[in-house]
Amino acid sequence: MNRNVWRTLPVLLFVALTTWATGTSETATGSQYRIGVFVPGVVDGSPTYEMMVSGVQQAADEAGSTDVAIVEGGFNQATWEEGVMSMAASGEYDLIVTSNPSMPEITASVAEAVPEVRFLVLDGYLEGHDRIHTILFNQQEQAFLSGYFAGLVTSSSMERANAAGRVGLLAGQEYPIMNDVILPGFRLGLQSVVADGQVDFRVLGNWYDAGKAQEIASDMITQGSDVILTIAGGGNQGTIAAARERNAYVLWYDDSGYDQAPGIVVGSSFVRQDRAAYQATLAAIQGTLAFGDAEILGVSDGAVSFDTEHPAFVDNVPAGIVSEMKDLLDRMRSGELTLEMPVPGGR
Amino acid sequence: MMPQILQSWALLLIVALGGLLSERGGILNIGLEGMITMGAFVAVAAAQAGAVVPVAALLGAIAAMLLALVFAQFSLRWQANPFIVGLAINVLAAGTVPLLSEIVFGTRGSVRIADGGIPVWTVVATAATVLVLVHAVVYATPLGLRLRIAGEEPEWLRAQGIGVTRYRLAGLVGSGLLAGLSGALLALRIGVYLPNISAGRGWIALVIVYLGYRTPAGLAVAALFFGIMEAVAVRAQSVLGVPPTVLLALPYVLTVVAFVSYAALRNRER
Repeated sequence: MNRNVWRTLPVLLFVALTTWATGTSETATGSQYRIGVFVPGVVDGSPTYEMMVSGVQQAADEAGSTDVAIVEGGFNQATWEEGVMSMAASGEYDLIVTSNPSMPEITASVAEAVPEVRFLVLDGYLEGHDRIHTILFNQQEQAFLSGYFAGLVTSSSMERANAAGRVGLLAGQEYPIMNDVILPGFRLGLQSVVADGQVDFRVLGNWYDAGKAQEIASDMITQGSDVILTIAGGGNQGTIAAARERNAYVLWYDDSGYDQAPGIVVGSSFVRQDRAAYQATLAAIQGTLAFGDAEILGVSDGAVSFDTEHPAFVDNVPAGIVSEMKDLLDRMRSGELTLEMPVPGGR
Repeated sequence: MMPQILQSWALLLIVALGGLLSERGGILNIGLEGMITMGAFVAVAAAQAGAVVPVAALLGAIAAMLLALVFAQFSLRWQANPFIVGLAINVLAAGTVPLLSEIVFGTRGSVRIADGGIPVWTVVATAATVLVLVHAVVYATPLGLRLRIAGEEPEWLRAQGIGVTRYRLAGLVGSGLLAGLSGALLALRIGVYLPNISAGRGWIALVIVYLGYRTPAGLAVAALFFGIMEAVAVRAQSVLGVPPTVLLALPYVLTVVAFVSYAALRNRER
């Protein structure tokens, strides 16, 4: 008996500890409007998801009588549909909010099985489903801003810039928006400044291997890239490590990343996912969100921008470049310069 | 290109040598992945607390060794299936490291070291030293001899009145230490701890153990071949007009093809 107990107890502790540590955090307490936020990954360390959660929470706080539960789906994409399905089927949510280009398809599938729940999907596009509202950010404009800035830096006399006219883009993985929108947008921005500028495009193969990202970024720098736009999740830290060691610059994407490595991260475009999440969630609570619609928000909507106010940007970038970026933003905000975001699926 | 090859080689070789120690003792350590993660986290935590690099790396190795002791307790004393225990160790690390990170740093995301990363040559020199040490221990000491016999002829050891368990335990302890050391060096090299930092290196290391014919020198060659293939694939992304995602599979495919061909050739010569 005792022997069995001593054999079983550690296993139970093992499982309990692991389950607790990897489990979800839910805070719903039960009242009128119930929102579940499905995070395809984890919140900590992902500014995009932190913004989504904070926007939803802000809307709930402002609206009152609203509960918010955060469910982290982890990094295994194969389990996301099951995670959303569990949330929807539980009957505990009026609205499920999530964010990821793959989520429109997943939520549409779940919506067929569970007809009571509505969905708000950020960073995705799906038009015409009467219980799904999507918001896509104009990444053509965002990538153009990054490319334009990369062109200004690589053609400047900044300490780590060289005369090769070659800049890098390191992606976590290839996917339609990366290949058809971000890469061409980045190249277009670069070539608006350096007509014969070249983009060295590399792929990490996942969103977390910082060691391999460092090896790839080092090779890009060896091959002449002096500025690297890194869109590789956790792999971005490897890009920073390579740039620090081999004297290059890094451009951040999706959130203001200067604090990651001031002086090395010299430029940062971002999307205001918090604002989009806040506005759309508030509208959903108030019953005014148009389900079935698919919005595309860009620079002129205030949803996409380039951080020109951060002290690390102002301190480390020549005044002429700062001024040129502000001029570009002004032109895009006023509608003088617009770039159309291709609709996923080709329509 | 050479620094990238050597970095990849060194980090894989250290953990593969760890895998070799337990495998030669008769226990395949499936939990290397979790041990790498634990070593990486503890090393960064120690560095954050002010420990110098060698101490941070040592603490990372010791932390992973503690996981190896848990592995040993389940698989050697309680006779649990080593494969299940190894998987459980990976799950345990995947669960407890974020928890520790939350408690210590208030985040389950990345934790950076203020001073940045260590030079690649530190990692390479450590790997070379570990290679020589493991070779010496396995082939030139009574401990190494008995470790190998524990894996290949355990009954013979028992017949001599020598306990097999203690040598298997030694193999597992060495395996944990080296997996943790590899994780620690990886994190200290890039100057950050991240979730999923091991990124499959533990599994690749197990493959390298067999591709390298279960000898330290063989492992060094296999890890070097893999590192070269990886560097070639990385460079090819920029010079060939082939989709990068296709090229990412190249190191794995070519490494397996090369070693299977080599094995076939060797068998034919016999």
